[in-house]
Order: sequence, then structure tokens, then C-alpha cells
Amino acid sequence: MSQLRFWQQSILYLLLTLYAILTLIPFLWALSASFKPLSEIVSDSIHFLPQQFTLENYHQIFSQPLFLRWLLNSVIIATSVTLLNLLLNSMAGYALARLQFFGKQFWFFLILAVLAVPAQVTLIPMFLILKTFGWLNSYQGMIVPAMVNATFIFLMRQFFINFPKELEEAATLDGLTPFQTFWHIVLPLAKPALTAQAILVFMGSWNNFLLPVVILFDPEMFTLPLGLNTFKGQYISYWNYIMAASMIFTLPVLGIYAFFNRYFIQSVTFTGSKG
Amino acid sequence: MDVIKTRLIGDAAPDVFFLDALEAPFLMENNVLEPLNSYITPDFDLADIEETLLRPFTLQNQIFGIPKDYSTLALFYNKQAFVDAGLDHPPVTWDELLVDAKQLTLDRNQNGRIDRYGLGMIPELARQAYLIRSFGGQVVDKQGYATFASDAGLVGLESLVTQYRDDRTSARPIDVGANSGIEMFGQGKAAMAIEGNWAIPFFQDTFPNLEYGTAEVPRMNNQPGTMVYTVAYVMNRQSQHKSEAWELMAYLTGKTGMEQWTRSGLALPTRKSVAETLQYDHDPLRSALVAGVSYAMPWQVGNYPAAVMNQFNNQFISVMLGEQSLQPAMLRAQEQANQQIKAAE
Amino acid sequence: MRLQNRQKYIHSLLRESAIGYGFMAPTLLVLAVFVVLPILYAVFLAFQKVQLLGGIEYEFVGLRNFARLMADDRVWIALRNTAEYVAIVVPSQTVLALILATTLNAGVRGQTGWRILYFLPTITSSAVLTLIFMWIYNTNGLLNQFLAFIRLPTYNWIGDPAVALKGIMIMNIWSTAPFFMVIYLAALQEIPQSIYEAAKIDGANAWQQFWYVTLPLLKPVTFFVVAMGIIGTFQLFDQSYIFSNGSGGPNNATLTIVLLIYQYVFRDLQMGYAAAIAFLLAAIIITITLLQQWLFGKQTMN
Repeated sequence: MSQLRFWQQSILYLLLTLYAILTLIPFLWALSASFKPLSEIVSDSIHFLPQQFTLENYHQIFSQPLFLRWLLNSVIIATSVTLLNLLLNSMAGYALARLQFFGKQFWFFLILAVLAVPAQVTLIPMFLILKTFGWLNSYQGMIVPAMVNATFIFLMRQFFINFPKELEEAATLDGLTPFQTFWHIVLPLAKPALTAQAILVFMGSWNNFLLPVVILFDPEMFTLPLGLNTFKGQYISYWNYIMAASMIFTLPVLGIYAFFNRYFIQSVTFTGSKG
Repeated sequence: MDVIKTRLIGDAAPDVFFLDALEAPFLMENNVLEPLNSYITPDFDLADIEETLLRPFTLQNQIFGIPKDYSTLALFYNKQAFVDAGLDHPPVTWDELLVDAKQLTLDRNQNGRIDRYGLGMIPELARQAYLIRSFGGQVVDKQGYATFASDAGLVGLESLVTQYRDDRTSARPIDVGANSGIEMFGQGKAAMAIEGNWAIPFFQDTFPNLEYGTAEVPRMNNQPGTMVYTVAYVMNRQSQHKSEAWELMAYLTGKTGMEQWTRSGLALPTRKSVAETLQYDHDPLRSALVAGVSYAMPWQVGNYPAAVMNQFNNQFISVMLGEQSLQPAMLRAQEQANQQIKAAE
Repeated sequence: MRLQNRQKYIHSLLRESAIGYGFMAPTLLVLAVFVVLPILYAVFLAFQKVQLLGGIEYEFVGLRNFARLMADDRVWIALRNTAEYVAIVVPSQTVLALILATTLNAGVRGQTGWRILYFLPTITSSAVLTLIFMWIYNTNGLLNQFLAFIRLPTYNWIGDPAVALKGIMIMNIWSTAPFFMVIYLAALQEIPQSIYEAAKIDGANAWQQFWYVTLPLLKPVTFFVVAMGIIGTFQLFDQSYIFSNGSGGPNNATLTIVLLIYQYVFRDLQMGYAAAIAFLLAAIIITITLLQQWLFGKQTMN
């Protein structure tokens, strides 16, 4: 940054700020709306700040008798899915990028190919399979099919392709088994990739609606998006509840993103101090 | 609803569930619902239930569902706007509506942008199907094929299009930045709207100062007409506990259960006796809705409603926007819908 | 001697394969049961006329579903809409994501703050986004008021088919770019600082470093971002569903392939035909991805 002249820097920060406004305003608008009564949201006047500030929307949502249960279900499912994905996608991505084995190209192609098939046509077959296993209305029905994800196997493969060969060779000479190499050498160096994956997998699982709406029908087993969906009336949209609910969905993801961002930042300051 | 179909395929549907009249024909035809005739006792007093509402759940004299509640459409009008325009009563005929709408359309600061339209309208088949019938047209024939593009069917629709395009006295919610017809009416951006029972609690909660009245939907071609949307309890044919299932249904749709369910006014009772007990036929806001049930067209369009509905809506909006004229657009929609239905059968 | 070498080679190949499959085993098992099996079932359905409700019945119809597809105007309209969409959205969101990531990785002050702000569109729920966009795009909305203010022509952004799809495009670029930004940020972290230092010693300026060092090293990740962008945009559904209330109108202007599939599967339960359309879509996506893989060059792939 130091090489940039003052006016160049000013323009840079101006652009950064303008774009930040574009991303921030809708979010703040939704946040503000979550503190408004429905009458104010649907009234024609446009006020950025709530005129009749209310906590009623949040109160209504939190006082759903099953709210905590839904939250717990969502946390259990999203956390397990994220941890399993981190391990299994990375293993598969690593194998596809670095190991030589018979049929490797075929498997990579297959993983790309399954991504191309829209979920809408596989939903009913998937439902029938889960039913055969007796996994409807269960955590395993939500977790096991989602424990690997072709998208992120593909992502990890692309990350591992540039991985320095020398480290692996050194590890082999030191007598590490391939899994030990992967676990002790490769994974720690792939922290930024794992971080990105963790954030995006968690977000996907947290927001997932298509599968749970079909396979979970016991209200006790609902995830948050499913439970809070009941606020969407058939004829009337309760925007106040929808906004409050969307804030409740969003904040955990934002928290996790902010938390994991340390890993991005850490190495930046490290390299920055070096340069 | 889509979810119920998936669960029925997987034999994982509940014993009793509720079913929209629109989706009923397909499920009745496909033998997934239990016929209820043998369960219904004289005690249950089936005759007390509105005939118009029972018919959508009946196929070849077999009753597959007991309607639990319903809503018709009625004309909602803004009393203040009517007073300001010097109108002392809501329109009774469609011609009156068109004239009144002109008076009610308002551009307060003369900037060429209209601040209040005479009528808020939703250009979807679900809301407008009754107009197709007013000059003798039909939305679908007995086999469920689309027939809405007949000359008789188009007259009523043409009137909607002309009002929107030429008179410019009606508008869609999205034209004015509203998310729904009731929101548009509540915000005062339309002086009239044709909406259902759901509007009443909505206005009470969100626009408590709104002064409005309801009237029966204006007659077109001197024919009374409106839509009725109804939902019934049905029994899964695969149910293992059929007598218990019926007991539950009989309670929920019986006189005591229904009275409790519909007392809050969120939904209208399908039993005449309950409507009388709750005095909805004398209620100043609900009597127009209740009156409509006898002549209303149940919202039901054959075995493949999605094909008919999607094709109609897709093309009708395009007509409203002035991209095509009504007849060719509707003929295309009808043909496309029928191709889809034919392939599905 | 030679024979021994060969045996050794085969032995090591088998050993490597065993290791490779060891790493892949859990993945392959899960994918086989929950992804490949449903797809195979859908392939089977594409050649059948299916009656799923009230006892499942199949009737083999050969290629009839595919013949119907060739003659179905709506499929080709949807395909054209979708292709136009992909051609604009994928390059835009890729470039935007790359710019955001590089800028935020270049050591601007308050990086954490910017990164969190820029991530917001991706996590804001699509219902909220659509509502906000409806509010901005409606005829009396923010955008038109702004355009009128600077004396430019105003549009019926939502109602007018000529612009409806463009409105959805802008919304999609804006909300998807942060997703890929996160991936680019991670990829930028993995580039060793020493490479830049070597480039600096060779006298490369910041722009040259970006063009000759950063971009080539990001190639594998860019391949991912573009491929996933293509898959995601070809499967566009949510926004066009919400904008048109599921009909794809006006006059098919917002019809997309997946919306069409949805209309057939969930509304009419025409699984066979829906599967046929899905495989047409999959074939197109796979072809484009392979083409892209070939364009990106073989050396980055192996």
C-alpha cells in the first residue's frame, strides 16, 4: 500500500466505501425492519430507523415453544455436517489432486458430472431411499447424505493441486504413512482452504430448506428455517417476523465467518510484517 | 402441498391432512384418498355443510374430503375515498365499477404519476377465473383441458385489460411497490380491491385506522360471480387407524369443533349452522363474503392445475403489459397447457 | 531384472491405488447411495412414463420423453434465457469476486471490517433480498426515482420482460460474488510470499506481479469458480420463481430450465419428462465444463 500515492489511496478507500454501502444497506434495512411492527413495514412511508421500535417480533419468535429445540437441531446438524465435510472432502480432494490411483480421472469426472444434475429431480428418489433406511424425521437422515459434498471435493482438489511436492516427499522419507502426511503436514498448511470450506458448508447446511421440508415432519425435529417458515402465511406475509427470523439465521453464520476470518488475517499480518 | 404428494409417494403421509380444492382432483383420481361415505353418520349432518364447498371434494358420488373453512372474494372499498369522490355506494355492476374507478383514480400533485388507482387487481387465474364464466365461458372442460380462450371466455378478461391499459384506473401491487393486493389497498394506493376474508384480520392488525367496507363482487353481464377457496380434511387411504382418523375429522369439522376453530374470524365456517351461530351472515364486513358462497366458482381447474394456471398467468401478464393482444395470447396459453396435460395423461 | 522392476512397478501402483481408494472410500460410499443412486433412478425414469401416486407404475416409452423435449418450445425458450443469463452473470461475478478478494488481501486498513461487510449479501436470506429488490425496482421505487432525478428514462423493471431478467442478473451477481470472494481470499493466502519477493527482485511492479504471478497461480481455483458459477447459474431457480410467482412469465421471459423442471416434477408429478429435461441440462453443463477444462490447459489439471 505504501507505494500508492495519496490520491490513489483516497480513490481506493472511496471505492471500498461505496461498495460497502451497497452491501450494508440491504442488511441494515432488514435489521431495522426486524424491529418494526408489520403496520410500519407495509405502510408506505420510508423511514430507515423504526418509528415504533419494538422487540415484539423477536419476542414472538423466541416464545415459540419449540424454538430452542429447532435451534438445537440446526446446530447439531450444521456442526456435524461441517466437521464431516471438512475431513471427508479434504481427503477425497487430496486423493484426486495428489495420489496416483486407477480410475482417478473417472472419479473426478463423476464428481463434476453429479454437480450438473439439478437437485429437483433427485429429491423424490432421495426421499424414497431415506424412507427405505427408516431415516425420515431423523438427524442421520439430514447428516449422512450431506456428509460429503461434490462441490467442496472439487474445491479442495483445486487447492491441493499447487501444493509443494517437496513437503510430501520429505514426509515420506521421514517414514510417515500417507494418512499421517495428510493429517500432520497437508491439512495444517491448508488452513485457509479449510476455513473457506467450513464457512460455506456451514452456511449451506444452516440455510438448507429443500431437503428438510420433505423429510422432517415432526415439529420436534424441525430445523430453524423450517420452524420459522410457519410465519409465512398463505395469504399474508408477516414481513416483521420474516425479517426477525432472517436476522436469527444470519447472525450465527456471520459470527462463524468473523471467527474464522482470524485465519485469513493471521497470515496476512505475518507476511505483511515480513514484507 | 408439493410435500404431501412426495410423502404420499413414499407412504409417509399422515392419517389425516388438509387438502386445497385445487389439488383435490388429481389425488381423488389417483386413489390415494379414502372415500368417506361409509363413515358419515346422520349425526354428522352433512347437509349442513355448504354444497358449493363439498362438490370440489366429490368424485362420482364419493366424498373424499370434508371442507373445514373457506373464503370467497368480495369488493373491499375505501370509505373515505368514496366520500371524497362523491360516491355514496359501492358499485353493483362491473360497468359501475369502471365508471367509479375513473372517479377514484387520483394524481394529487398532477405530476403524471398516479397516487391512487381506482382498483387494485392481481392478474392471475386464481383471482380472475370467475370473469371467464360471466359471459358463458369455461376455464376447463370436464376432462380438465383448458378452454378459457373461447370468445365467450375472453369478454370478461378483455374488460380487465382495457381498464388497465386504456383507462389506467387499475394497477397491480408491484406497479406501486406493494407486495400484495391487501397491502396496496391498506396503503391507500387503490380505492377498491377484490380480496378475501384474510384481508379483515390483516387490516385490523396493520391498518387499524383504515375505514373500509365490503360489498359483493360487482356483477358482470348481470351475473353474480366470485371465487371461493376452500380446504378440506381428507383421510389417507393407507392409514392404519381409519376409525380414529375419522373421529378426529368428524370432531374438527363437526359443529362444536368448527365453531371453536372459526370463532376468531380468521376463517369462515363451512357449516351453515355455525355461520348462523357466529352471526357471520349479519356481520357488516363478512356478510358480503358469506353471501358469495352460493354462487361462487370453486377454485379448481382439473387434474393438472399447474399447467393451466402457469400458462394462463404467464401469457396474461404479457397481455397486461401490452406485448400481445388478448386472443392470440390466450389461445397460445390454452394450446400449451393442453399439450402439457395431454402428455401427462 | 526387468521383470523385477515391472513387478515392483505394479506392486507400487496397487499400493498407491489402495491408498487412493482408502482416502476416497467414505466419499464414494456416500455419493453412491445418496447422489448416484437417485440420479440413476432419474435416468431410468427419463425413459418411462411414470405413475407415482397410488401404487407406482412404469411404462417404458423409449425416447418419447426426449422427442417431446425436442418439440417443446418452452424448453428452448428457457434454455435461451438461461444461456444469456450465464453468459453475463458468470464473467461478471468471477471478476467482481477476484477484484474484491485481491483488494481486501492487499493490506488495506481495517481488512476484517471490509471482509465482513462484503460478505453480507451472501448470507442475507433470499426472501429478504427479493423484498428489498422489489422495493428498489418497482415503478415508483428507488431506482426509478434516482433515474428520474438525473433525467434518465425510467423502466418498469419487474413488469417489463426486456428488463426483468437483467434485474435478476444484477441481484445474483451482487449476492454470489462474496461467496467466491471467500474462496479467492483463501487461495491468495496459500500463495507463498517468497514468490512475490523473487518477482520484486526481478523488478516486477504491482500490476505485473498480479498478472504474471497471482493470476497463473489462481488458475485452479478460477477453474473451480467459473465451473461452479456455470453450474449455479444454469440451475437458476429461486429468483425467477419469486419474481414470476412460479409461472415464468411475462410471456416466458423469466422461465429457466430448473423452473420448468420444478413445474413438471412438483406440480404435475411428470417425473419422466422432468428427468429428460434435467439430463439435457446436465449434458450442456458437462460439455461446457469439459470445454472450459480444456481451455484452462492440461498442466493445471494434473
